[in-house]
Amino acid sequence: MKVKVRYFARFRELAGTGEEEIDLPEGSKIRDLVEKIKELHPKFKEEIFGEDYDDSADVNISRNGRYASFDEELKDGDIVALFPPTSGG
Amino acid sequence: MLTEKELERYDRQIRIFGVEGQEKLKKSKVAIVGVGGLGSPVAYYLAAAGVNLLLIDEQLPELSNLNRQILHWEEDLGKNPKPLSAKWKLERFNSDIKIETFFGKLTKDNIEVVLRDVDVIVDCLDNFETRYLLDEFAHKRGIPLVHGAVESLYGQVTTIIPGKTKSLKEIFPVPPKKKEKFPILGATAGVIGTIQAAEVIKLLTGKGEVLANKLLIVDLMHNSFEVIDLED
Repeated sequence: MKVKVRYFARFRELAGTGEEEIDLPEGSKIRDLVEKIKELHPKFKEEIFGEDYDDSADVNISRNGRYASFDEELKDGDIVALFPPTSGG
Repeated sequence: MLTEKELERYDRQIRIFGVEGQEKLKKSKVAIVGVGGLGSPVAYYLAAAGVNLLLIDEQLPELSNLNRQILHWEEDLGKNPKPLSAKWKLERFNSDIKIETFFGKLTKDNIEVVLRDVDVIVDCLDNFETRYLLDEFAHKRGIPLVHGAVESLYGQVTTIIPGKTKSLKEIFPVPPKKKEKFPILGATAGVIGTIQAAEVIKLLTGKGEVLANKLLIVDLMHNSFEVIDLED
């Protein structure tokens, strides 16, 4: 199946694109998609998903316009957006 | 009741919210927690709209603040606490409104007293520890909380309404790592803070739709405005 992945803010620069389609086996979860993104874009692995990364703090994810958790299962044609958390004022 | 002068001063927005709406603004008091990059435009536009303010911050302005914290000037550096520096300008800008200040850090022990009679709380903070404290207090007292956060050319806004929306802690359960010196362009804080100010006006007048259970994500570097649904 294919999902469309959209990258926001700093993630867009790390991925080198704003949007791409990624092929995944049926039944994949968002967690599996993140693994795939790390493979495709080593910069993500180094800068976002380092050793001490915590999935709820370092990346926010939405699936088809709704906030999503890492355990959610993906379907063909889904649109997944990745955006970095911010805390500055 | 609005005075003749107020009817003239706020004429252009009375055309949107009505005299009744303007009277609601006149009667309200809004706490701006953090008078920095976000707090400056929020305070400026709420003062312009005729809203009474409570300004809260524990810092003195520093030179590296001035690229974004537009209520603080060179003459304030290292001297005038941020709430007082902001009050001085805003009072001269709009003498109709009352501006209270609290120079200090909000804590579990003082929050009840400091925020005792506010109608809306605006989160213009730079850390999640104090944000969680605001979130908890807002829920305890049923006060709406307008959250904003910025970094670089990127920012987010959502409005927390106790009993109706998710709490800030539910949306962001783990605080992002705090950066002492985060990159930020003044215009980003201007955009996000201005959206927060509009949220406050909508909440106070009851007009329009606020970002309840919706997270607005703004990416000025790539011209994108996305609204993400936070409902389950």
